[in-house]
Amino acid sequence: MSDYLPSLPTIVALVKIGLLVGGLMTAAAYLVLVERWMAAWVQDRKGPNRVGIPLTKVRLFGLGQPLADGLKIILKEDFTPRHVDKVLYTAAPLVILAASLAIFAAIPFGSSLPPIPALGLTGEEPLLVAPGLDVGVLWVFALSSIAVYGVLLGGWASNNKYGFLGGLRSSAQLVAYEIPLGLGLLGVVLAAGSLKLDTIMNAQADTGVWYAFAQPLGFLVFLVAAFAEAARLPFDLPEAEQELVGGYHTEYSGIKLLLFLVAEFLHMVTAAFLIVIMFLGGWHLWGLTGSGPVETWTVALIRFGVLSAKILGVILFFMLVRWSWPRFRFDQLMNLAWKVMLPLGLANLVTVAAVEEFRPQLVAALGEGWAKAAALGLPWAVFFIGWITAGMLTPSGTDNTPIRARGPLDIEHELVEA
Amino acid sequence: MNGSLPALTPGLLLAGAVTAAAVSLWLLLPRGAESRLARSLGLVLGAVALAGFIAAGRRLGSLGEEAVFLTVALVAVVSGAATIVTRSPVYSAIWFALSLAGVAGVLLVLGAQFLGVATIVVYAGAILVMFLFVLMLAQPSGLAPYDRVSNEPLLSAVAGAVLLGLLSLSIGRLSTDASCCAVPSKAAAVTGAAQPPAPPTADDPLAVDQVARLGGELFGRHLLAVEVAGVLLLAALIGAIAVVTRGEAALEQDRRLAAGGGNR
Repeated sequence: MSDYLPSLPTIVALVKIGLLVGGLMTAAAYLVLVERWMAAWVQDRKGPNRVGIPLTKVRLFGLGQPLADGLKIILKEDFTPRHVDKVLYTAAPLVILAASLAIFAAIPFGSSLPPIPALGLTGEEPLLVAPGLDVGVLWVFALSSIAVYGVLLGGWASNNKYGFLGGLRSSAQLVAYEIPLGLGLLGVVLAAGSLKLDTIMNAQADTGVWYAFAQPLGFLVFLVAAFAEAARLPFDLPEAEQELVGGYHTEYSGIKLLLFLVAEFLHMVTAAFLIVIMFLGGWHLWGLTGSGPVETWTVALIRFGVLSAKILGVILFFMLVRWSWPRFRFDQLMNLAWKVMLPLGLANLVTVAAVEEFRPQLVAALGEGWAKAAALGLPWAVFFIGWITAGMLTPSGTDNTPIRARGPLDIEHELVEA
Repeated sequence: MNGSLPALTPGLLLAGAVTAAAVSLWLLLPRGAESRLARSLGLVLGAVALAGFIAAGRRLGSLGEEAVFLTVALVAVVSGAATIVTRSPVYSAIWFALSLAGVAGVLLVLGAQFLGVATIVVYAGAILVMFLFVLMLAQPSGLAPYDRVSNEPLLSAVAGAVLLGLLSLSIGRLSTDASCCAVPSKAAAVTGAAQPPAPPTADDPLAVDQVARLGGELFGRHLLAVEVAGVLLLAALIGAIAVVTRGEAALEQDRRLAAGGGNR
């Protein structure tokens, strides 16, 4: 009989999933509001500030706006054009949303809870859906590569040239920037010695040195690649409104469009989570949260608060960047990925590997303090050298003249000329 | 049971399932002419074959494990079959992706986390996206007729069935050995289940810290293979660049054409 009842770990996992999905969906709705406020602030206007509690005159700074937006987009007609591939057209938004939600199975959303003996939880309960997953970072990587399918299929199934172009651009961009993203990840994984995100956070809390300081070049590469993977400006070519109407979701409306938009927002939230967890110390803040196990609820709450505040900060940075930089051209985008970010990422990886490999020798030769300084100084030296080299070698203006492919007529012409 | 029929031994069951799978695939593989009857018959036979395989297979520990395993395994097998019987290359690629997801699920259920995730990253995430990319670029509208049909439906179905039968037979024989059957599912490990795991033995590759152990294994005993694979990939990379690059002369020609060519 006990075979049919869910066990305690299963129930705990389900509760965590419920909390996470509910929290993420609400957060996504309110982040849209924050984004609109940010846009308004940058453009010196007021932004949404009217909708408050319905049927009253209470405005509440426009906090009712996400609810109204959500209702509007859900109640809109879910129109399916006749020229689309119906199955894939419906599947694409589902795939992308499912993948971007499943990513969070491996992402810790806090440190952990103290033991709750009343519920039978005798150990510390990590705030992570799948704490036993040994390959956390790879899981995130795998599912974010599944999200490409949503974009690609949405664009193709729409049977619309703008949608198709958006899908193609997106897949090329995402595949290209997965490489710098992976190189940035590798440096952190190498330094922490684990693929588990909570172990990576703990490693930073233990030493008190965030990986953003220990591997500045890796942080830069990862940050840029994360912007590109989340398709945020200046990398939003897949849905460049001025060129492609809406890119891959041109033909979508109603609830399906909502799924796409939520998934896009979740990508940004995922990117913020990863940046904070891997490079900005996670829940660690000097003087406020120490390392070690969680014994009281206060510690658990403070750690959760620090992590959330950092994530909000990174998201605000994402939003500010959106209104600060113009979009890249496609050739610039690809040049940046392959000619700048890839070599910089490799340089970072080699530096980190060298530092980690020779750390014992450094300590033996220089003593504890100087060895630490050298292990921090070398990556910064590489960072500046890499930055200056990239700046000097990359042309400030790029050639945009089209290179014509030679058709049979051209070849014939050449033959006649020769 | 009718007494005149031979008893339904596992071997007979397996043979029947393999035969049904072969006939089903032969009926379903795309040919020039569509026949609704052949199609439905193929689907029914396919379902029979799947049921036969499930009946012939070994049971797992608990009901939950069995359900999860059967779900992911069926996803893998059914979408694998759909990959080859679908006419549209894009759908074929999607089915293949789903099949890979099923395989990754099976690996996760068995506790091989790294393999499962790596399958998704490498195949579904990179290679298949490239496939889709090329398919969509090359044939955005319709297909060439020669792509719509299967070339040798009978031979390929028979070859596949023979391979399937031999593999199931050898794996089945292995699993009737008592020594190998004590493979517990490590699926519970993913949810961080509280039950105390069996003490990890030195040669159990699925024990705790499996990624670190896998890395140690790869860069210890199999270092040469890893290095050779790396060199091979580098050679492929250089080859690809060599194929794409056309040299300065060709670029110069392009520039000349772009400057003076117009829309000729």
